[in-house]
Amino acid sequence: MEIQVERRAAVAVLAIAGSVDGATAPALVAAFREEVGGGWIRIVGDFARVDYTSSAGLRALLETVKETRQRGGDLRLAAVQPEVRRVLDLAGFTGILKLYDGVDAAVASFGA
Amino acid sequence: MDSPGRSRVAVVIGSGSVKCAAALGLFKVLRSEGIPIDLVVGCSGGSLYAAMTAFGWDVDEAERKTRTLWTKELTRRRNTRALLRAVLPGIFGFDEQFGLVDDRRILARLEEAFGEARVEDAKVPLYLTATDFHTGEQTVFAKGRLVDAIRASIAIPYIFQPWKVDGRTYVDGFLSDPMPIGVAIKEGADVIITMGFESPYQTRVSSVLRFAFQLSSITSNNLLKANYAFHNLAHHHEILPVIPQFRHKIHLFDTARIPYVIEEGERAAEKQIPYLRQLVAARPA
Repeated sequence: MEIQVERRAAVAVLAIAGSVDGATAPALVAAFREEVGGGWIRIVGDFARVDYTSSAGLRALLETVKETRQRGGDLRLAAVQPEVRRVLDLAGFTGILKLYDGVDAAVASFGA
Repeated sequence: MDSPGRSRVAVVIGSGSVKCAAALGLFKVLRSEGIPIDLVVGCSGGSLYAAMTAFGWDVDEAERKTRTLWTKELTRRRNTRALLRAVLPGIFGFDEQFGLVDDRRILARLEEAFGEARVEDAKVPLYLTATDFHTGEQTVFAKGRLVDAIRASIAIPYIFQPWKVDGRTYVDGFLSDPMPIGVAIKEGADVIITMGFESPYQTRVSSVLRFAFQLSSITSNNLLKANYAFHNLAHHHEILPVIPQFRHKIHLFDTARIPYVIEEGERAAEKQIPYLRQLVAARPA
């Protein structure tokens, strides 16, 4: 899994590539924590290049969602691919996470 | 479950009628890649494939049996008396043994396929789920006559009458959990490979039965998601969903499409192999 961080105004955009699963979740959680620890509590996960997510991956996402929200921010996802979207939907995550078609829309949503 | 010195692997096949044949593709890939299976859980249509695999059938044999077991003839013979009971309960009497289809054919075919085999005799520990008609609770068959367990697990509401085993009445497993991952968690699995399908929604609600099916699909699909969400968060290790994508619509008795269904199951499974190898090699942290 690769993670690239880009900052746009008050929003940290993490572009993730690969699988979000038990093998990669620690690195993802660490990356999210670094952002939250640095005060970047408005985070967009760019999922355009995420091709799979498992239960461990979902738990990592949930941890970050809770941490950012506790601090008044949020984790929002952009460009989630159909296969991953199906798993998010099945696991009830689409009911608690905000999803956007693209990164621009997700970043803009924080300004609304 | 004994500790095998590596991650313990369970395969859970949920409901989904003929789509569940995709499980054969999944099992084929797991076998050819040497991924061990420590237990198998099946529900509704998935109980057939869970059983076939747990008893060591090869994929070709299971495919052949599916084509003869699961055909349109199963529902051709209506249970006229049940219909009369539903419409005129005062005259004909109505009770819980209600099903619009004469179930003698399905029972005969199950007996032909599985004979007097018992669940506890499976080569790989096998768990089949049904739902207690009176309490709504999930029941797990880990022993007993295999045909009884499968027949209870596939007692599709309105279609096949509930099935009695040892004095208790059972309906389809999907009514308590369409993808019973909880059974694998409870039985000590670390890595849970799961395949299940949402119930299809009706394109046209042109009869009372279709109306009932629609409501049933709404309920069971929401139940599937609620349970899946809980199991994902509750499990200590990994749950890997293997969800085939069908480019063609698969109907209830689309046996002609079984080779295609299996192929898609294979394709979906192959994507998980590298990660699965990694997971199976080590004990969970």
